[in-house]
Amino acid sequence: MERRTFLKGSAGAAAAFTLAGCLGGGGGSGSETITIGSDIPYRPFEYETTEGELVGFDVDIAEAVFGELGYEHEFQKTSFDSIIPSLNNGNFRVIMSAMTITEDRAEQIDFSDPYFTAYQTVIVLNSSDISSKEDLQGVTVGVQKGTTGESAATSLKEEFGGDLTIQSYDQVTGAFDALRNNQVSAVVNDNTVNAAFVDQSDNVRFLEGPGAAEEQGKENAPPYLTLTVEEYGIGFRQDDDELREEVNGALQTIRDNGTYDEIYSEYFSG
Amino acid sequence: MADSYSEGRTGDGEYQEQFLNDKTLRRLGAAIAGLFTLGVGGFIAAIIFTQVDFELLVEIIHPQFVNAFFRVLGIVLVGSLLSVTAGVFVGLGRVSNTKFTNAVATAYVEFFRGTPLLFQLLVIYVGIPAFWPPGQFPISNWAIPTAIIGLTLNHAAYVGEAVRGGIDAVPEGQMEAARSLGMSYVQGMREVVLPQAWRNALAAIGNDQVILVKDTSLLTVIAIPELISAFRNVNSTTFDPWTPIILVAIAYLMITIPLGKIVSYLEARSDWGGDRR
Repeated sequence: MERRTFLKGSAGAAAAFTLAGCLGGGGGSGSETITIGSDIPYRPFEYETTEGELVGFDVDIAEAVFGELGYEHEFQKTSFDSIIPSLNNGNFRVIMSAMTITEDRAEQIDFSDPYFTAYQTVIVLNSSDISSKEDLQGVTVGVQKGTTGESAATSLKEEFGGDLTIQSYDQVTGAFDALRNNQVSAVVNDNTVNAAFVDQSDNVRFLEGPGAAEEQGKENAPPYLTLTVEEYGIGFRQDDDELREEVNGALQTIRDNGTYDEIYSEYFSG
Repeated sequence: MADSYSEGRTGDGEYQEQFLNDKTLRRLGAAIAGLFTLGVGGFIAAIIFTQVDFELLVEIIHPQFVNAFFRVLGIVLVGSLLSVTAGVFVGLGRVSNTKFTNAVATAYVEFFRGTPLLFQLLVIYVGIPAFWPPGQFPISNWAIPTAIIGLTLNHAAYVGEAVRGGIDAVPEGQMEAARSLGMSYVQGMREVVLPQAWRNALAAIGNDQVILVKDTSLLTVIAIPELISAFRNVNSTTFDPWTPIILVAIAYLMITIPLGKIVSYLEARSDWGGDRR
């Protein structure tokens, strides 16, 4: 008797959950909470201040976009190399983690319109005798696992016929520490994140030289060596088109009304 | 009590005796074990036949997983040797009658057993080079030394405790007898107490060394391309979880199972009976 009641109860609960799940997946507007998966910290896109407050470019863009759409939102920490499976498993609704739009990734998830353009760049210590891309041959470079910096380093390795050692760290700060501690000779990473590090530290500099940005004729290209050009997008599950289109609309709105530029200039100078 | 249990059928215990006897228990145990085997077997079969991409499996074994395997094996061998050696001395320090030595050994064990290995690895890997000005740290591949130092310091604490337990389990009379035969403390330790303590401590030490093997998985955070990194590399480029993770399981078991066998062999060899030499 008890058992039956229990079964009935749990079946009811399961049905309720399924129903709630359907409603949630439907993406109706209102006070729904959007959970955002992000690999925190990744300066200056998402990081915590010493007081523990979450800030960054992605954080402010999320605030602007989801505020515009009237959704509540919250960030959830996750690791970057498992972020796509986590999205598809339903651990969160969207990805905002300075994620570059690539063909490989686009097979697994859908992307919003680009909301940021980044360049893969190389930084070295001031005291280093590496002064051009060719000098990187045979050295050890540090990257963050699973990032496009890692892919850029991998293609550089192919270019050098395998004569490049790549050390992959869990977080980009690990790679910066390794550079400082003489474990790697250079770090390959996004220009903005590298720039934040160069600004903060007296003893590192960008590697200079003509690169991919010039080749592709990009405007506002940074003045240092660029290995690749990338555009960042917000990641969605492939069945979440409705929300994706809403977000695209909101991105356009904040670009038009100047909110985007405000946020941009807060985090990136120039 | 025992009589009525085996004979059964007396008074109010009837229900129990009918169903909860040795035979049904044995069958029940076998049935549960059978169900478990079926479940696990089915799960593994489901993984192999529906999830694993064999083409990819073959492609990633070499060089990525083979290299990672030998790197882990090398670190385990060196770390094991050093931590057991150092652990014996830590154990001796823990049973020392000299207060100072004893206190130092105790503090050592408390610290290295009381903080996570991950913390210790980060202290060594990021902390130590920070004493040098940027770019001046002389050892340019510090990750492997970090791994060896970290695993050795951490596991020497555990092995030390195992050795202390082993020595404590040897009756005090053994040392007293050794001393009364004219042996010094060191001689008594070496010739009489330690050989017996070794036997007592062996199971605990072996257990700890198996944990050392598994602890190498933490080395992924200091960018050593070990087995977990190999998995994460493959997983983040192919989005295939099961193919690389199966290789990780096989690789760890290829180290831990033989290690378990070595420990059983050593245990059998040093057993009281002495008929297996």
